[in-house]
Amino acid sequence: MIEVNTVSKSFDRTRVLKDVSFHVKKGSIYGLLGSNGAGKTTLMRILTGILKQNNGQVHVLEDGVFENESVKQRMVFIPDSLYFLPQYTTRQMADYHRSMYDSWNEERYEKLKNVFQLDEKKKISQFSKGMQRQVAFWLAMSAMPDVLILDEPFDGLDAVMRQKVRNLIIQDVAEREMTVLISSHNLREVEDICDHVGILHKGEILLERDLDDLKADVHKIQVAFNEDSFQPEESNLDILHKEKRGSVWLLIVRGNEADISAGIKKHRPLVYDRLPLTLEEIFIYEMGGVGYAFENILV
Amino acid sequence: MFELDVRSRKPIYEQLVEKLKQLIINDVLKEDEKLPSVRELAQQLTINPNTIQKAYRELESQGYIYSLKGKGSFVHPSGKVDNEEELKKVREELKKLFAEAIYLGMTSEEIAALLQEVEGGQQDD
Repeated sequence: MIEVNTVSKSFDRTRVLKDVSFHVKKGSIYGLLGSNGAGKTTLMRILTGILKQNNGQVHVLEDGVFENESVKQRMVFIPDSLYFLPQYTTRQMADYHRSMYDSWNEERYEKLKNVFQLDEKKKISQFSKGMQRQVAFWLAMSAMPDVLILDEPFDGLDAVMRQKVRNLIIQDVAEREMTVLISSHNLREVEDICDHVGILHKGEILLERDLDDLKADVHKIQVAFNEDSFQPEESNLDILHKEKRGSVWLLIVRGNEADISAGIKKHRPLVYDRLPLTLEEIFIYEMGGVGYAFENILV
Repeated sequence: MFELDVRSRKPIYEQLVEKLKQLIINDVLKEDEKLPSVRELAQQLTINPNTIQKAYRELESQGYIYSLKGKGSFVHPSGKVDNEEELKKVREELKKLFAEAIYLGMTSEEIAALLQEVEGGQQDD
């Protein structure tokens, strides 16, 4: 549905994206994660045809995007900083969208009025940040897109609205197999809703995987041994991170559960606890692996 | 029907598989009863439909449910369900508890007595 192959982009002499490749399947909700300044927004702007890549191919709905109206007809992009036409009310924006999108669904627009409960005759500029974002979702969901691209979508929405918006997105994914690409810093949000994630760092894709597989593949382990004989380096475990607190080792290990348990139990541990990692922890440790580490900073 | 713990570290997909298994084992979902559709469940729980699909596929491969094309998923009537996973987990839990009990000074006789008590209790039912 979305295919990006070896895309590069530079602004002046700064390379923002280097040979980025990733794929989003139809009906999938894909989370694009990344460190600050990794190039997420640039990538999204290329995907939506706002910018043109220097190298590589971008295909959305089996076709190039740049200057291609028929593809853009079927996708909606809600950017990080929203834009509405000056002095426009929601109703006027809706009419504008209707003139742009053949798939515009007026019935849906009316139904969503009850969900968001905003006054459609009020100027959007008078709304708060969160309310403006609600307007953006209201318009986006009424346009019935096949591809929905969201840059930091939940920014500014309260907990109730976030849940409502998530529910709306999920309904469209379940019923019409809408494809969704979400970039977010809030990993908890992404964790609940996405089935695939890609991590972007300094313009390169570090990893791209099914979220459940990713979680099943990295484990947090606490072990303690009777004597000090255990040396993590000597074990045949793929250790991403190790730390010793008193006599207890804290290890982040890659591999499947059974192998790790067998590998640890061989050394007869006194204490052995295994916890699945949260996406936030996976992100931090993966980033640490490429030198973007969290350290205790003393100021 | 049920709630998932989104704050838990356990992947949502695993939680789903476990919850549905429990419902089937405890006969809350009866034989040949239809499970909620992927769409319904996705909307009810606000979780990704692909995750639910995956959980259903897993349950099907483990023999808990069967699916009919275009009709949905149903609870498998034969109780032929392999408990290997479940047993392994229980064994681990027991080991931990035994270790604690021994540490606190319980003797093997006392543990054996407890076991007998539990067994006896079940026979009374």
